[in-house]
Amino acid sequence: MGIPTAPMVTIAFKDLAKTNAAKRGMPDERICFTPHPVWGKTDAQMYAYLEGDDPVTGKPLMKEVIGALTDPLTPDEKKSGTVTPSTGPATFVDTQDNLQKYYMNNGMTDFMSIVIPTKEKVDAMLKGTSHDPEEVIGELTPARGSFPAWKFTVRQVAINAVMAGAEPEYLPIILAIASSGLPSLSSSTNSFAVAAVINGPIRDKLNMNYGIGAMGPFNDVNASIGRAWTMLSKNLGNCGLPGETYMGTQGNVVSFNNLVFPENEKDSPWTPFHVQKGFKAEENVVSVFFGYGIAQGQGGKGSAVKPVPQFDQGLLYNFTPLTSIFGALAVLDPLVAKDLVELGYDTKDKLYDWLQKNATLTVGDAKTMLFTGGFSLRGPQAANLKDTDLIPRWPRKEMINAVVVGGQTNPYYQVGNLSYARSVSIDKWM
Amino acid sequence: MKLNRRNILALLGSSPALLAGSAYAKDKEKKKIGAASESFSQIKIEGLNPRGIPPAIQLVPMAPRLKTLDGKTIYLVSDGFPGADHFLNQIAIWFHKNMPSVKTVYRLKAGAFADDDPKLWAELKAKANGVIMAIGH
Repeated sequence: MGIPTAPMVTIAFKDLAKTNAAKRGMPDERICFTPHPVWGKTDAQMYAYLEGDDPVTGKPLMKEVIGALTDPLTPDEKKSGTVTPSTGPATFVDTQDNLQKYYMNNGMTDFMSIVIPTKEKVDAMLKGTSHDPEEVIGELTPARGSFPAWKFTVRQVAINAVMAGAEPEYLPIILAIASSGLPSLSSSTNSFAVAAVINGPIRDKLNMNYGIGAMGPFNDVNASIGRAWTMLSKNLGNCGLPGETYMGTQGNVVSFNNLVFPENEKDSPWTPFHVQKGFKAEENVVSVFFGYGIAQGQGGKGSAVKPVPQFDQGLLYNFTPLTSIFGALAVLDPLVAKDLVELGYDTKDKLYDWLQKNATLTVGDAKTMLFTGGFSLRGPQAANLKDTDLIPRWPRKEMINAVVVGGQTNPYYQVGNLSYARSVSIDKWM
Repeated sequence: MKLNRRNILALLGSSPALLAGSAYAKDKEKKKIGAASESFSQIKIEGLNPRGIPPAIQLVPMAPRLKTLDGKTIYLVSDGFPGADHFLNQIAIWFHKNMPSVKTVYRLKAGAFADDDPKLWAELKAKANGVIMAIGH
């Protein structure tokens, strides 16, 4: 812009702000820091921040701000040109034990033992795809628009797949997930989670688990693909550096290997998820979701109604704590899906439609929420709304999705506050 | 008579004490395995770097600074995070009290936190002498 600027950031984001400024070409940007947080403080408390010191420099904060705008530039601050960042040597040589520590201590793992990615293992992994190992296949960033995106090749994805314990036949799914551009670790202070639902014949070809315990640690395919997603997010997207590219205040246990599972197409009474998204049934597809996470839904309203439990009411009940900033993902055991069909929802679309119309909240409640679904609170129509008026929790039915998974040991389900992002072909990566 | 290894050895006229030898052999074998794994753990292997390709960094020279803020127009820009508007209002009050010749103008950047707002940047270019931008939390 060419206008002197003093950015102000709270101390909690010191490392993030400084490293990000450097990556964007201003390593010496004059960032002024306030105590943390600003949000939620009274006007008097905020004014006291201004009368106090910058917690980084220890100098009076407003003096820093004025200096940021008026102190003459140093030679370093006037520099232009290009800097090529390094990610270290191409290989690391040491004993097994030392390499385990090396990869872990340098933030390249999920802090559990990995398979050391030797050239032999990576070459074997690359046999899982017909693609050129040097083909650049995508970009990842901890937050699009906030952090510069990193690119990566097929080989680099394969290295991460080896580290996660995957086999070569799983590589096309991992490549598809990597190419989706959705990392498993976001920089947000929220501790987000991600999910990947796999559809198509590859589920059976690889013996993936979509039955009993499909979302748990009971199948090496589901598990290692999920683990690879976190590994490649860290290594190929520079995600997951606490304080720098990961600010999730509590973290999310799902992030260890994410919600990765195939849909139980065989026992589902409905159209498979990928077919809903325009693919053919015989195609292999991964669909990715992101949001806050997932919670058990059983025991809620309607579950005990006989002879057919009212799982539509149950879903509505379990949607209540969900925020509207993300969509809803109902993850249903086939028994629940079959009961919903008996209730008249013979397509997923009918269920989405009913849920969108009936999942409401009051204007008064929406106003108190940080991330309100205040979609209806924006625009000129908002002026006429009363606090007692009901508004839709989600403005469009496309924000509600359902997938079927489980071993039919009981009619249970889970509800995710997860938005559908996109579906990606797996076949393309074979 | 129930036959076991000791009885067989006795029938063959050998001392059952010979069986003790097998324990020795086992111990010896154990030591061998230990030594092998010790030497295996010292073998160096080569692991590949799993990192991706970071983009090149274009260094951006900072804009020339003002000689003074006296009589200047400083835009106070919020990225839209809750509380930033109140915080920037306190900065406006601070200038009013401490440097009354500084004119402050508040603006909310359009879109989400990281979204571009070319219209606002154009306004700043045309009307602002300096900017204070409150980012996040």
